[in-house]
Amino acid sequence: MNDGSTVLPFGDPMFGITSWLDAVVRLIIIVLVMTVIVMYLTYGERKVLARFQNRLGPMETGPWGIWQAWADTVKLVAKEDIRPKNADRWVFEFAPYLTFIPVLMVLAVLPFAQDWGVRNLTLGLFYVFAILGLNIVGIMMAGLGSGNKYALLGGLRAAAQMLSYEIPLVLSLLSVAMVAQTLDLNAMAAGQALDPGVGQNAPYVFLQPLAFLIFFTAMLSELHRAPFDIPVAESEVVGGFFVEYSGIRWSMFQLSEYASMWAFSVFGSVVFLGGWAVPEASLFFDNGWPGPDWIWQLSITMVKSSVWIFALMWMRSAMPRLRIDQLMAFCWKVLLPLSIVQIFMNGFILWYGQEGRVFDGYSDWLLTATSGAGAIALIVLVYSRAFRRRSTKGLVGAYRQAQVPLP
Amino acid sequence: MTHWPETTTPVLPPDDLNTVDMTINIGPQHPATHGVFRMVLTVDGELVVDCEPYIGYLHRGLEKLSETADYRQSMGWWDRTDYLAGMCCEMAYCMAVEKLGGLEVPERAEYIRVIMAELSRINSHFMFLGAFGTDVGVLGTTFTYAWRERERIYDLFEEVAGDRMFPTYLRPGGVSMDLPENFEQRCRWVLDSARQGMEDLDGMMTGNEIFVERCRDLGPITPERGIALGLSGPMLRATGLPWDIRKAEPYSIYDRLDFEVPVGRQGDVFDRYFVRLAEMYQSMRIVEQCLDQMPKSGLVLNPNLPKTLRIESGECYIRTEGTKGEYSVYALAKGGNKPYRMKLRSPSFCNLSGLREMVVGTYVADAIVILGSLDIVLGEVDK
Amino acid sequence: MTEAQARPLPYPVGSQSPQEGLKDLLAKAVPGGLLTFGATATDLDVTVPPADLLTLVTTLRDRPELAFDLLRNIAGVDYETDMALKYHLYSLKHGHALQVTVPTTSGHPHVPSLTSLYPAANWHEREASEMFGFVFDGHPNPKNLLLEEDLHIHPLLKAHPLAKVEILQGIEEGPPGFKF
Repeated sequence: MNDGSTVLPFGDPMFGITSWLDAVVRLIIIVLVMTVIVMYLTYGERKVLARFQNRLGPMETGPWGIWQAWADTVKLVAKEDIRPKNADRWVFEFAPYLTFIPVLMVLAVLPFAQDWGVRNLTLGLFYVFAILGLNIVGIMMAGLGSGNKYALLGGLRAAAQMLSYEIPLVLSLLSVAMVAQTLDLNAMAAGQALDPGVGQNAPYVFLQPLAFLIFFTAMLSELHRAPFDIPVAESEVVGGFFVEYSGIRWSMFQLSEYASMWAFSVFGSVVFLGGWAVPEASLFFDNGWPGPDWIWQLSITMVKSSVWIFALMWMRSAMPRLRIDQLMAFCWKVLLPLSIVQIFMNGFILWYGQEGRVFDGYSDWLLTATSGAGAIALIVLVYSRAFRRRSTKGLVGAYRQAQVPLP
Repeated sequence: MTHWPETTTPVLPPDDLNTVDMTINIGPQHPATHGVFRMVLTVDGELVVDCEPYIGYLHRGLEKLSETADYRQSMGWWDRTDYLAGMCCEMAYCMAVEKLGGLEVPERAEYIRVIMAELSRINSHFMFLGAFGTDVGVLGTTFTYAWRERERIYDLFEEVAGDRMFPTYLRPGGVSMDLPENFEQRCRWVLDSARQGMEDLDGMMTGNEIFVERCRDLGPITPERGIALGLSGPMLRATGLPWDIRKAEPYSIYDRLDFEVPVGRQGDVFDRYFVRLAEMYQSMRIVEQCLDQMPKSGLVLNPNLPKTLRIESGECYIRTEGTKGEYSVYALAKGGNKPYRMKLRSPSFCNLSGLREMVVGTYVADAIVILGSLDIVLGEVDK
Repeated sequence: MTEAQARPLPYPVGSQSPQEGLKDLLAKAVPGGLLTFGATATDLDVTVPPADLLTLVTTLRDRPELAFDLLRNIAGVDYETDMALKYHLYSLKHGHALQVTVPTTSGHPHVPSLTSLYPAANWHEREASEMFGFVFDGHPNPKNLLLEEDLHIHPLLKAHPLAKVEILQGIEEGPPGFKF
């Protein structure tokens, strides 16, 4: 739990320069880092997907294809900028930027190491919720402004999907905020360090597994990645809302998709996996670590977010996509009630877990137990539908003879 | 001075505001699965209200061309009809010519033909599994898994016949060349590998909750309706009727082989997928039996074939079980060395004619899945 | 490996050669003189004029001892002096197959459409009409199927030469001396 001490927005200014220039320098660093990381995420996705699909992926451009992303960038920049005649000009042209800017804004508040980031807002989590919604505006603009029926369908589906899934996303994060007693992302990461003097909690994935599952699913949907990629893979050829974009504008959409994938992964690992904090870190690192702390903290963040990103790519390679009505039904009928139940349970336990009340001292265990039960309930719910309806168990290689009389 | 109107009743939209049905053209360029096929869907939001298929983009004039070529020459066109399973088409064509001309086929050649036809069936069903996974949204993982097995079968065809997809291996009266020396061993190895591939694909698709959700209860057909629509093959077997021409009107040596006919329960998309999956195991069984029963040596081509095959008169309608259904050839001969009329009754053509009925009332994404479950090959549809 | 017991197939096994018993059944079911019997290498053949086609096919479909419920194929044939349509029917209940030949005149002969009896006939008839020029009375959607919508040539007729359609439509020059 946060001890309430005041914290400067990310410690001391960087390189000893004044605060607004310091913010600009940090922003520039973040943008450059993001560009490179996103380029290599596209490459990484291609390689990872290829390996899942029994093939190699890019191999020609450079050893093991590592210059593939640069080659793609050069190609896309050199392409002709086509704007369809029916497209609404300014809506069409500004949509990619509106999809990309919210992602950049989210990146500004994420802590990559202790007190490292662009700015540390005390309302960090709330800021992220607020910015998430802006993504949808850009997508709707792309869908409506393209002058294409497929784009329209894709844009509307995307809007419906993303709006619906925001609610369980926000509610699950709120339940974590209740446990963390703070909205400050840096403090939230620090709070998961199990380190006396820094933080007292295990990573929230153990305390709130149900919220973790809900967040993961809702995040997949916000990113419109498989299995929720119906807006962008309409029968797999037409790209949904970015079908009419080519060249650099299309690459802006891809940039925003991979950047948001990265941003969400870092965000998710900060909130649930502990971000830069490792439990009992001070025991290992303060004594034996020669250099500054940020090196191992940054690597820990990178490792955690890489695992998260790999999980996203893995899911993309293996899962078919849900139809839009199944997707919406899953959100409104399964995720939303469960996230509301999670908040109620949290409230109950945290109130009665205060000092002097009934569950004093047991609140962490109770949180794990109730949320774990909820997570198991969610998994069982999803799987039981499969068991009930999949009546082919054990029948591969066997058959059933005709059970209907002939006409 | 502005005057704000007093409203005591809520402002409603005008009465003539209603939704307009939108026409979507799922155009001839399709995502690499089905070929050049065009479907115009009229949708109300997400619900398909009408569907009109347009075919003929791959029409190559097969029947007219067959009338202008010798009996043995036009085989090169016929195995391009169902281009995913060339050997099955050739078998039907050769059987038609043999029936017209009264030609006999040596026993070893019959076994070789059946082995090749069943391997083609396995090949075609792998293609279905791969492409169907892509339609449902697995992005291509099923595609590449299926392709690995298909490549092995194609390698086998290349060893035997010299060409992968359009082997032109069969001849009226037998097959053109004998099998290579280590064929049996290679064939068994390919079958084992295919079994493994099928288990991978099965685990990926049948066991996947999302896949089952997408496919269950989608586009069900009753057997009576299926027969009325002229469906055949796995589409009809998925409705529950175990009608297989290899069992119902046996040809070649199928009556000596022991295999089962998998059926589904309600004719929906999942049953069609599952029937095709189960059929592959039966095809493997057939191939293994043929490898066991085949005479180890012998002629593979009728030795008494004339140099030019002239058939005075004859008419026949040869039915075979192609990979998609009933692949039948109606042949009419009136003298000379060219047939007078050769008509192809292709299964995909007949299965596709029922598309409108199956698709209307489902969602747009379901229309794509239903089209994928029909497993059409445009070469057959358009002749 | 099998879960269910192997049961015998619920339909009789047919064969791909002409069946004798069927001739007697047909002779009894349909009043004499209407049908002319023949045989192909694989099926029994029945010839009937176009005017009587609908009644014959209705009898074939509805009589329980005949029960021809599957229309497999409709093939058109151009004999140069006249044309014919070949219908191939099959009964799943009894396992017998039949070919019905309908001889017609050349030109654009009218034949009743079987779509009201068999929905499967729809596309087969569209194809036969665009390839040969048959006119199927009562067909719900007599548009071109495989050829372009506005093309009104009939390629499978023997009189139609094997040439590019642009030559036939006068867009391109054919070989010297070519006249269509």
